[in-house]
Amino acid sequence: MIKRRRILPVALLLLTIALAPALAQNGSADSIKIPFETYKLPNGLTVILSVDRTVPTLAVNVWYHVGSKNETPGRTGFAHLFEHVMFTGSGNVPYGLHDKLTEGVGGSNNGTTNNDRTNYFETIPSNYLETALWLESDRMGFLLDKLDLAKLNAQRDIVKNERRQSYDNQPYGRVSEILAAAMYPKGHPYSWPVIGSMVDLTAASEEDVKAFFRLYYAPNNATLAVVGDFDPAEAKKLIEKYFGALPQGKPVQRPSVPLGKLEAGKRLVYEDRVQVPRLYIQWPTVGFKRDDDYPLSVMSSILSGSRTARLTKALVYDSQIASQVFAFQNPSEDVGVFQVTVVPRPEHSLTELEAAVDQVIQKFIAEGPTDEELQKAKSGLELSFLRGLESNLGKANQLISGSVFHGNAAQFRTDYQKTLAVTAADVKRVAAAYLGRPRIVLSVVPKGKKDQASKAAESEAISMLHENRRGGRS
Amino acid sequence: MKKQNRHLALATALTIALASVASVAQQPLDRTKIPTPGPNPVLRVPTWTKTQLPNGALLIVSEKHNLPLVSFNITFVGGSNPFEAAGKRGVAAMTASMLTEGTTTRTGDQLSDALQLLGTNVLAGIGGEEGSVGFVSTTKNFDATLAILADMMLNSTFPAEALERLRARTLVNLTQAKDQPAVVGGQVFSKVLYGDAHPYGQRTTEASVKAITRDDVVAFQKAYFQPGRAIITVVGDVTTLKAKASVQKGLAAWTKAGDKPAFNYPKLPELQRARIYLVDKPGAAQSIVNIGLPGPPRNTPDYFALQVLNTILGGQFQSRLNANIREQKGYSYGVSSNFGYGKGPGAFRAGGAIVSAKTDAALIEFMKELKGIVGEKPVTDEELKTAKDSLIQGLPQRFGSVAGISSAITSLVVQGLPDDYYQTYARNVSAVTKEDLARVAKRYIDLDHLAIVIVGNRAEIEAGLKATGIAPITLLDIEGNAAGGASPTSSN
Repeated sequence: MIKRRRILPVALLLLTIALAPALAQNGSADSIKIPFETYKLPNGLTVILSVDRTVPTLAVNVWYHVGSKNETPGRTGFAHLFEHVMFTGSGNVPYGLHDKLTEGVGGSNNGTTNNDRTNYFETIPSNYLETALWLESDRMGFLLDKLDLAKLNAQRDIVKNERRQSYDNQPYGRVSEILAAAMYPKGHPYSWPVIGSMVDLTAASEEDVKAFFRLYYAPNNATLAVVGDFDPAEAKKLIEKYFGALPQGKPVQRPSVPLGKLEAGKRLVYEDRVQVPRLYIQWPTVGFKRDDDYPLSVMSSILSGSRTARLTKALVYDSQIASQVFAFQNPSEDVGVFQVTVVPRPEHSLTELEAAVDQVIQKFIAEGPTDEELQKAKSGLELSFLRGLESNLGKANQLISGSVFHGNAAQFRTDYQKTLAVTAADVKRVAAAYLGRPRIVLSVVPKGKKDQASKAAESEAISMLHENRRGGRS
Repeated sequence: MKKQNRHLALATALTIALASVASVAQQPLDRTKIPTPGPNPVLRVPTWTKTQLPNGALLIVSEKHNLPLVSFNITFVGGSNPFEAAGKRGVAAMTASMLTEGTTTRTGDQLSDALQLLGTNVLAGIGGEEGSVGFVSTTKNFDATLAILADMMLNSTFPAEALERLRARTLVNLTQAKDQPAVVGGQVFSKVLYGDAHPYGQRTTEASVKAITRDDVVAFQKAYFQPGRAIITVVGDVTTLKAKASVQKGLAAWTKAGDKPAFNYPKLPELQRARIYLVDKPGAAQSIVNIGLPGPPRNTPDYFALQVLNTILGGQFQSRLNANIREQKGYSYGVSSNFGYGKGPGAFRAGGAIVSAKTDAALIEFMKELKGIVGEKPVTDEELKTAKDSLIQGLPQRFGSVAGISSAITSLVVQGLPDDYYQTYARNVSAVTKEDLARVAKRYIDLDHLAIVIVGNRAEIEAGLKATGIAPITLLDIEGNAAGGASPTSSN
C-alpha cells in the first residue's frame, strides 16, 4: 500500500483497546516484558533502545510531542500538513532519497499525526540503521534549509485530497469533526479535526512552517526509538554522531487543557449522501492519563464487540433492531470520549434505537458488570500484548508512548496491571459517572430525510460548509 | 550550509567530551555523505515439516519459540468461485459467518463466551479461490481453542433464525456499499472486465442473498470443509511432535473426503477497444479511477518480471504513477497499480481517487505513464536496480510474526510453488532484465484494450474527459449496467 502519511487519530485508541479487553486469568504477566534501555542526550533528545534479533530488520521511530491540539485557530490541520512537509527533503537529503533508502531497499517509511503527537518511522533491513538515523537527524536539524513555497503548495494539494478521500467523499466521513465541534467549546484544542479545514489549509504559509518547526521540532521535544536487530553500543555511537550536535530548542509550553463537559445534552441531525441512517451518541470522559480510563476501556468490551456483549446482544441479537453496534472509549492525552454507534435494520427508527441503547445503559449503570463479564473483558489482554511484541514498530510505539505521555517507557506494564486490577465496582462507578451525564446525540440521515433523525423535532440541523469542495490547486 | 554543519560537528565533539561517552576524537561529521550500509543480512527462511495426514489434509508445522504464541490455520484450496452457483453468490461467506452461530453441543453465545475466556477468536472466511478457518492463541490455550474450532467447523447447526439475522445484516451492508464510491468503482471495474458469466465479474447482490436457503448453507458446509483440499498450518511455540498430536486429537472426527477443485474458468469476453465507462456520483468530491484489463494467473512464468515491472510502475510510493500524479501534480492522495494474479486471469489495474476538477488531467497522466512503461519511456538501470533491491531485501519482513510465516508457507502450497521458493527468490528477481520488462509490459498492458472505469460527478467531469480524446465514453449505473435514459455521449 502506498497510501501513506495519513492521519491516525485513533492510533492511541487502538493501543488502549489492545490492552483493555483483557484479564490474563493465569495472569502472572511473566510474558509482559519488553527489554529496553532509555537515556537522554544533553540536547534533550530522549532515546529508547530495544533489541530483538528475531528477524534481520529494525524500526526507527521518532515522536514529536506536538499534534493538532497545538495548532492555533485559523491554522487547523497544520500539524498534519507539516508532517507532509517533513517528507519533502531536508538540508542534505534531496527529495525522494528518503523513499529510495527505505522502501527502495525493502523497507518502508511513513508518518502519522493525531491530536497529541506526530510520529515518523522507518522499517528497514538491519544494515540500514545508520542510513535511517542520518535521514531522521537531517530533517530534525535541517528541514528549513531546503524549504520553499512550491514544496508547501504541493503538499497542501495532497492533504486536501486526503481530506476529500477520507472525509468529504466518505459516507459518514464528517461525523468525527461534527462531534468534536459539538463536544468542546469554540477554541478548545480538541474542538477541531486533525485533518483541519480547507480554508485553514489554504491559509498556511511558509512562515508558519518555519515557526512551527522552531517551536516544536527540536530534540528536547522528540523521542527516538530503535527496535529490532542491532548492536546497542554501535547504535549509541551513531545516535550521538547524528543527533548529538543538534541544538536544543526552547522549552515547549504545555497549556492545561480542560476536559470536555456538556452543561446540557445536544441533539443534532446531519444530512449526508447515504442511504442508511446512523445514530451516534457521545459522552465526555477522560484521557489516558487518568486512571478512570482503565475501567472505561474495560466497559467498552462489556458493552460491544462480542455477541454476548450487552448492547450487541440486546440490539443485534435479541430485539434485532440494529444491524451493528459499536461502543468504545476513545482517550487522548488530555480528554476522552465514550462513543456508541448504531446502524439500524430497515424499518427501525433511530428514535427506537436510542431508547434501546438507553435501556441497556441504564440497566448496566444500575447493576454493573458480572464477574464473568469482567473476566471475559480482560482475557484477551495477554494475547494482544504478545502479538504486539511481534512487530518492531509496534513495540517502538508502545515504549515511546509511555515515555512521552507518562515519562515512563515501561508504562505498558502499568497499563497491563491496572487493567487486570479493574473491579466490577470500578466499572459500575464509571458507568454511572460518565454515561449518566449529558451527551451528544447525532443522527446522520439521507439527504432530505431529517424526519428520520432520533427525536427529529428536538434535533438541531447541522450544515457543514463544504469549503473548497471543487478547489483544485490553491 | 556547510559552515553550519562544521559548527555543529564541533559541538558534537564537545558534547561527547562533556558527557564522557567512550569515544575518541571525532572526525567532523560530513552530513552530505550518505552512510554506506553494511553487507545485506543473511536471509533466514523459516523451516517447516510437511506431513500427509490419513484424512487427506496436509499438515505443515514451523516452530518459532521466541514468544508463547501459536498460529493455527486450515486453508482450503478453492473458494466461492468453484463452489458457488452464479445465482447464489454469498453462500460461502454466509456459511463461514454461520460457523459462530452454534453447534450440536454449544449455542452461539456459549461459543462466544468460551472463546472470550480463552482470550482469542476463531476467524473463518472464504474468498474466491481459497478459504480459511483459524486463530492465533497463547501456547497454553492452543488445544482448548483448537477443540472449539473443530466443533464449529464440523458440528455447526446453522439455525434458521441466525440465517435471517445475517441475511438482514448483509443486505444493510450491501446498501451501505452503494454509497462508497471506491467499492462501486471496484465492482463495476470487475464487471466490465469479466462480464456476468465469469466468476471474477460476479458478486453478491441483494437478489443472490435473498435466494440463499438454509439447505444451501448446510450443503455448502458439507461440500466445502473437507480435508482432501485442506492445508493445516501450525506456526509458533509448539514442537512439531506436539503439533501433530494436537491436530490428530483435535481433528480426529474429520474423516477422509474431498479433493482439490479444478479451476475451470469460462472463456473471457472478447476484449473491447479502449473505452471510458463513466458512473455518475452526483456531488462527489473525487473521482474513483480504475484502468486495466484481465491479466495473467499467478503461475505465469512472467511473474517475477511483472513484480519488478509493477514495482517501477505503481507498487510503491516513489513508483512512476504516484511520483507523478500525487507528488508532482497533487491530483490525489495516492495512486497505484497492481496485478491481481490468482488461479485465473486476475486483473491488471491502475488507479486511485482523483480530485474531481483534475479527473481529465489525471487520466492524461495515467495514460502517459502506461504508454511510458510500455515503450515510450523505457525502464532505466537505476529503476531496475531499486525495484530488485526493494523486492529482494523486503523478503525477511514477511517472516516477523507467526501469522506472517503461516501465510508465507501456506501460499506456496496453495499456488503450487516449490518449497525453496524463498531461497531462490533473490535469484529469480535478479535474473529479470530490461528486455523482459519491455516484453511483459507490452504483453500485459494492452493499451488498445484498456477499460477505464470512472465513478464521479458526471456534471463536472464528463466534458473534460471527452475533450481528452482518450477513448469514447459509455455511461453505466452503479451496478455496471448501461445507464438507462441517459443521452448517449459516445464519440470517436
